Amino acid sequence: MTQWALLLAIVVPAAAGLLTLILPRRRAPWAPAALAALACAFELAVAIYVFPKDFAFSWSWMGFGVSFALRLSRLSAFALLGIATFSFLVTIYSAASMAKAPASRRYHAWVVFTVAFSAGAVLADNLVLLLVFWGGLLLTLFAMIASGKTRPFATAIKAFVIVGLTDLALMFGVMLYGRLAGTLSMSAIHLPLNGLGSVAFLLLLIGAMGKAGAMPFHSWIPDAAVDAPTPFMALLPGSLEKILGIYFLARVSLDLFILRPESWVSPVMMWIGAVTILLAVMMALVQKDYKKLLAYHAISQVGYMILGIGTALPVGIVGGLFHMVNNAIYKSSLFLSAGAVEKEAGTTDLRELGGLGRAMPVTMVCFLVAAASISGVPPFNGFFSKELVYDGALERGWIFYAIALAGSFFTAASFLKLGHAAFFGKPANEKRPLKETVKEAPWPMLVPMIVLAGLCILFGVANALPLEHLIQPALGPAMEGAHGGTFAGFPTNMMLVALTGAVLLLAVLNHALGVRRTGRGLGAVDHIYHAPGLASIYHIQATGALDPYRWLNGLAGALARVLFWIDRAIDWVYQTLAAKTTLAASWVLRRFHSGNVNRYILWALAGALAIVLTVLAVVGGVR
Amino acid sequence: MGNAVLMLVAVFAPLAGAFLLPLLGAVSRPVRNYTALALVTASLVSALLLVPGALRGEVISFHLAAPLGLSLAFTADALAVFMAIVSSLVGAIIMLFSFDYISHYENQNEYYLMAVVFLGAMMGLVFSTNLIYLFVFWEITGIASWRLIGFYRGKADVLKADKAFLITAVGALVMLIGVLAVYGLTGTFDLTAMKGTALPLGVSALLLVGLLSKSATLPFQTWLPDAGVAPSPVTALLHAAVLVKIGVYVFARFFLSTFVFDEALRTIVASIAGASALVSAGAALVETDFKRIVAYSTVSQIGFIFLGFAMGNAIGAAGALLYILMHGLAKAGLFLSAGIVEQNAGTKDITKLGGLIRSMPWTAGAFLLCAFSVMGIPPFGGFFGKYMVLSAAVSGGEMVFGAVFLTGALLTILYLFRLFSKVFLGEPHGEPAAEKSRLMVACVVLLAVLSLVGGLAVAWPSQLARIAVSQMLGVAR
Repeated sequence: MTQWALLLAIVVPAAAGLLTLILPRRRAPWAPAALAALACAFELAVAIYVFPKDFAFSWSWMGFGVSFALRLSRLSAFALLGIATFSFLVTIYSAASMAKAPASRRYHAWVVFTVAFSAGAVLADNLVLLLVFWGGLLLTLFAMIASGKTRPFATAIKAFVIVGLTDLALMFGVMLYGRLAGTLSMSAIHLPLNGLGSVAFLLLLIGAMGKAGAMPFHSWIPDAAVDAPTPFMALLPGSLEKILGIYFLARVSLDLFILRPESWVSPVMMWIGAVTILLAVMMALVQKDYKKLLAYHAISQVGYMILGIGTALPVGIVGGLFHMVNNAIYKSSLFLSAGAVEKEAGTTDLRELGGLGRAMPVTMVCFLVAAASISGVPPFNGFFSKELVYDGALERGWIFYAIALAGSFFTAASFLKLGHAAFFGKPANEKRPLKETVKEAPWPMLVPMIVLAGLCILFGVANALPLEHLIQPALGPAMEGAHGGTFAGFPTNMMLVALTGAVLLLAVLNHALGVRRTGRGLGAVDHIYHAPGLASIYHIQATGALDPYRWLNGLAGALARVLFWIDRAIDWVYQTLAAKTTLAASWVLRRFHSGNVNRYILWALAGALAIVLTVLAVVGGVR
Repeated sequence: MGNAVLMLVAVFAPLAGAFLLPLLGAVSRPVRNYTALALVTASLVSALLLVPGALRGEVISFHLAAPLGLSLAFTADALAVFMAIVSSLVGAIIMLFSFDYISHYENQNEYYLMAVVFLGAMMGLVFSTNLIYLFVFWEITGIASWRLIGFYRGKADVLKADKAFLITAVGALVMLIGVLAVYGLTGTFDLTAMKGTALPLGVSALLLVGLLSKSATLPFQTWLPDAGVAPSPVTALLHAAVLVKIGVYVFARFFLSTFVFDEALRTIVASIAGASALVSAGAALVETDFKRIVAYSTVSQIGFIFLGFAMGNAIGAAGALLYILMHGLAKAGLFLSAGIVEQNAGTKDITKLGGLIRSMPWTAGAFLLCAFSVMGIPPFGGFFGKYMVLSAAVSGGEMVFGAVFLTGALLTILYLFRLFSKVFLGEPHGEPAAEKSRLMVACVVLLAVLSLVGGLAVAWPSQLARIAVSQMLGVAR
């Protein structure tokens, strides 16, 4: 029974996707959204049904250690539940928000395909099977971005190339792991982290980072925020991709290998996390577009998770996973609020927004709850997971903690700016006032936001619920905390709490200062933007010169020109050298055929003489 | 005996039947076209009927004794059956595509004659185990492709056809010296009789020159992009699915299934394959001609196939076989979509194309799906071949080759997207070209769907490939 439930968790959404694609286009315009919602509801039911079970089965598939093996571990069940919940909420939302979009049918189909592939990816127990589902997600990512209003293929290709590159690294890592471990099963053995093992770990890490959108594999996300459908941002970069990437990172760190603080990959991961936090949040700070600002936060928040897991300490790993859940909740809620604003106000450009709170009170409240969560304000959920990550980071080195804390300052500052510019005050651009008709978003869009905001509060106030029932069981007994085996409850380290409070207060003061200087919410961080040193970096960034995608293309272009030159050189051998040599040889031979009889006789005599001499020489030699 | 008849039908139906086509063409064009398709389909059906036996591990042979080592010997083992299916399947789809593509050119009779003869000779080559006949069929494919590449008869076209013929024929002559040296060593031309022979490196090198030139691998690669002057179905037939696979197929036949594959040769072949995969991928990223880019892509992907065989382990050989199939399907799709674009937009220059996704949505979609397969994105068929080939290198401890080919795989993604963007995205230049022929579009869509189905149902071809590998390497399954 469980076996079939697991299979159906993959097959049913895929079938719903196929059905959506072949449905008659005009007959039932509501059908795609309804089908998608039904499929996601089914997924949620399955996820709840199988949640308490522990189950594995395997079918032979293509040999060479590659089998169709599924395994429902505690961690998979947890990830599957997350995937089902977020896709269900976002599907209900998109039924309203995508109703009039031209590509709505295809969009809904790709959503359910994404659900199917995600379920497969978290249930797969064979690494190659995981690669297959992972690749399917690459395709749906491409297709969903391309179903944006302007058919933004350039952004879709950028996302595909970047994530595809990390998928190739992942594939290489899987092969290396298979060679070292002698098996492709994910739950068979733990490899030691040494020599080639560390290389394999790093390659798998790149795969996880690419999926989660950590730096330097991030630069497609802000572009997609502009071009792709907004619910896509809530679904993929907002929640599902984080769940998948961090799920896989946890599997790699806890199952495939045993990550220990002594290993050199641990500080590597922490640095990746810290750099991602700081650089991405610095970019988020200065954005003037609602969705783009959120997109940079979607990158920045991954940093906390990777930092947490990278500490290789129970408190950090639990914190990292808890932050993954919390981030998925508040980030998808924030993207959904952006979608509501976009639909009602017609734009997400903060320069044209302002004072929306009066017309859209529910959206505003949901936004405020989620913004407080991401900023780490107690008692919302983000506060608790950040404190756990801080705890682990401080134990491994004050520098990691300091960077993470600085990240929190900028996070709070940017959300003060965003909230102020969008929901309070007046539109900054007086010439293009907001439409008079701005009203609250429709209920199908509000309900998911309200549910998510409720979860922000629930997972904060009653944090024992997720920690003791979802995360700690998923990680097993090795990850128990020092104090009575649980990480739930209020943080025990009061110094950390005090410092967090101080940073939040600092962010508010900074905001007040900025607003006083410029007179508007949007200008609250202008003094940071124009700060000496930072200004020039921001300027260079604005030209796109710091985009790793551009470096990749430049590098590939240069390499290609060198390779092309080699190809042309080889062609020259055939096209020119061979032809010229033949012509030269025939020119020389032609000289002998002058038509002069005397000369021919001379040649004949010389030839005869040569033959006689040769024969004599050979005979003489033999004798 | 019944199965031996199937094998003979697969070879001689197209090979002999082809000569009827010009006569039929004088009577009725449709009759000629359908007969051509029927002849190729006869090969396909015969090859498919051989599958159950091949899956049971049976090896069927047909022997007609003759003096002077000229005994006609055909053998259908799993390797031959696999290759026969790939060639005739893709060949049949391409013949169908030709109905509309070729319909407004001269010399159609010769086209059908040469294309069907080519496929018949390919079948003969696949089943032959006598080196003399193998060589004869090899040269028939060379002559047929020479006529087909120069189909348009312009001065430049003929020159390119000559170039292709000269390079492959000179390579074949070098190989012939190698074949004679093999005869000198073993006293027979029968491949089954010389199993387990260890060849001196020099003789192996002579054979290798012929194989590399036929498969357009470095340093003999440049005739292939030049041969893009041929009609698109011809390029698909020759340069994607069938002709260029001759070299890799015979390589497997020689060095995996017959001779002892020595370590030095393995390193040489893998290095050549790596260089070939990288150089041509780079060229594909620079070129601006639709078909030249796709042709360079073929050269690059052939490198992956050679790598799989060169690693000499079971997963590599099975991966190479799967990739022959998957690459054949997807690359034929790319060449045929190039044909649709070229015929409707009137140019192959990607700097003069753009925005075709709006007027040619089906072609664009099919192109993209085929491109995904060539890139090796799961769940498309190309992934499984590529994964297994690369895995062979890594599990054999050849990390450098693994890294080189991974770079090749990344360049593949880049150049195929560059091509897609330039042709199908952006602003259209002038009149938007429409998809005129439904039949042609249907063929491309069929190839795209097969590329996807080949991946989803990879267990079936992989089963045949595994049996082929166990027969080749003599290992237990």
